Amino acid sequence: MNELILTIFSAAFLATVIRTSTPLLLATLGGLIADLSGALNVALDGIMLIGCLAAVVASAHAPWYVGVLAGLVAGGVVGAVMAFFHLRMKADIIIVGFAISALATGGTVFGLSIATGGDKGTSINLPSKAIPAIDLSFLDAIPGIGPFLTSILSGHSFLSWVAALLVFGIWYFLYRTPWGLWLRAVGEYPSAPEAAGIQVTKVRAWSLVVSAALAGLGGAQLAMFNYIGFTANMTAGRGFIALGAVLLGARHPVGVLLAAVLFGAFDGLTTVLPGLFDWIPPELIRMIPFVVTILALVLFSIRAQRALAMRAAR
Amino acid sequence: MSMTSAGSLRPQSRWTAARREIVRALVALVIAAIVTLVVVFFTSKAPIEALTTLVTAPISKTRTIGLWIDDAAKLTMTGLAFSLVFQARQFALGVQGQLILGGTAVAFVALSPIGQTWVGLPLGIVVAILVGALLGFLPGIAKARLGANEIVSTLMLNYIAVELSNYLIRVQLVPPGSGLLTTDRFPKPSLYPVLVAGTRIDLGLIFAILSVLAVWFALYRTSWGLKLRLVGHNARFAEYAGIKPNFITVSAMTVAGAIGGLLGSMFVQGAAFGQLTTGFEGGFAFEGVLVAIVARNRPLAIPIVALFYGYLRQGAQLMNIRTDVPAEVIGVVAAIIILLVSSSFSLPGRAWLMRLAGRGGRALPAGSPLAGDGSQ
Repeated sequence: MNELILTIFSAAFLATVIRTSTPLLLATLGGLIADLSGALNVALDGIMLIGCLAAVVASAHAPWYVGVLAGLVAGGVVGAVMAFFHLRMKADIIIVGFAISALATGGTVFGLSIATGGDKGTSINLPSKAIPAIDLSFLDAIPGIGPFLTSILSGHSFLSWVAALLVFGIWYFLYRTPWGLWLRAVGEYPSAPEAAGIQVTKVRAWSLVVSAALAGLGGAQLAMFNYIGFTANMTAGRGFIALGAVLLGARHPVGVLLAAVLFGAFDGLTTVLPGLFDWIPPELIRMIPFVVTILALVLFSIRAQRALAMRAAR
Repeated sequence: MSMTSAGSLRPQSRWTAARREIVRALVALVIAAIVTLVVVFFTSKAPIEALTTLVTAPISKTRTIGLWIDDAAKLTMTGLAFSLVFQARQFALGVQGQLILGGTAVAFVALSPIGQTWVGLPLGIVVAILVGALLGFLPGIAKARLGANEIVSTLMLNYIAVELSNYLIRVQLVPPGSGLLTTDRFPKPSLYPVLVAGTRIDLGLIFAILSVLAVWFALYRTSWGLKLRLVGHNARFAEYAGIKPNFITVSAMTVAGAIGGLLGSMFVQGAAFGQLTTGFEGGFAFEGVLVAIVARNRPLAIPIVALFYGYLRQGAQLMNIRTDVPAEVIGVVAAIIILLVSSSFSLPGRAWLMRLAGRGGRALPAGSPLAGDGSQ
């Protein structure tokens, strides 16, 4: 047990948490944008998967940043497709999400098989690239805490820093710009912005595109940093955990950051635990993030219920 | 909303509604067929051969016909489970977990001494149904009591079910020390009797037919079914009418869970497996989403859609084995079918007709509650 506590509070584990949280955080921010605009983006997991494949295939033929961009753009295109079917063709957004999920599970394997000429499980024959790690070892020079800072902050993906900045950027966008106000108004009570002359459909469409692009970016991080290469179903439910993180984070950028880091920590735990306790069955360790998500969802719902009851009593 | 089609509460417009749905489904099928054609032509070196296999292989032999009917029966079950919760407007996606843990529970019965006796067959079925119902009940009560989002909770339960089942198979069910991920074959008394010798058509087909009739009766001939459809149609109105939506939510998700559990029994006790293997479900359960959506959640339409889609699936499997086109192409086709069937693509045509008639503009003003978000 002591080993576990020591591991959890070690700098190496904190660094692991940053790594495992990054794809989750990007997808969660995507989920947040869609959710605030009034559309539950059930397809986050599928879009991440598509982002993974796009990033891997593009980076096999081009520099790493093209791979990242491919993940982002692939996500955005999927978001535009969702927006078209939801807003123009009046399909239920959740059903559209199911369709995109079906497309992602089958389509990515199919796409991989086309891109590699027959491989179906993994992209092992595709020389895909990695996102470079950002070296901050100059922090060592700071007296006292320098080495500690280096071991936590140095060597992270470029996208980890982008994700951290995005938390602030999205907060600023949502609460300090008129467009953010429009977006929240559209999600809250669409008739009001409609009456104010805001194009509700346009706001919704862009929200879906941005939401999906962020999930695609999360996929790029997953397939170009956390793992190198594509494996069928490699997201392993991260997009759905992100959906839970949006709810748990109380639909606020800082809240979802904390939720994503919490889930990322348990995800990191699943990589650390097998080395420490070889007697725990690996299946049970892999269950941890999902069990934690359910527990968090239930606890959050109890709290929300209680807040509602208190408001009603007043 | 578009899923529980508007006609479900108005019998007089049933035939026009049904005709519209059939036309819509046919158009979607034709477009999907065209997409398949294009994809196969671009990816295959022998496209004609691949397409011939896709279209003719499932009915080429008695054995392949058996594969098709067996697949359709199972698709019917997962489609029914999804349609029931969709009709109550609950997006519970727990069929996968119910199927897997239902099947895993059956193995405990079938591989025990009880499995050697005639009790093994019915007891296995009952245990699977109970496990499935419990897995449907838990997210249902969490939704009704706490408002916990059922999409997230059921999906998380699915992942937990997969890991739990893998663990139980590896540690409890497989002969110790063998290192296999497949149990022994279940003893004969615990298996479904085969209806057509030499095929996979077994007792499961009867269960599928009975389930369709039972769900249809429950939805359209009982007060529970009427309440369920009312809650799905307009929860607030149902509440004003004195219906408790919470009870409907929980019971719909529990019954759907029972169907999912029974499907688990059909998998492992049926002629297709007759044993328990890790990953035996292979993502099958989610095919029910397509079946339910294309059938517009109508119980009697579900077996028909299942027969069509099962044929497509089997054709794709055989095409995968015999030619160079991977079976996963079906995922792409499925997505297109779902998108087309769930979108009201008759709407632009109607708006155009209205404009011709001089009524002008769009059929639905943006911002009206109908044109709004997912709660339309």
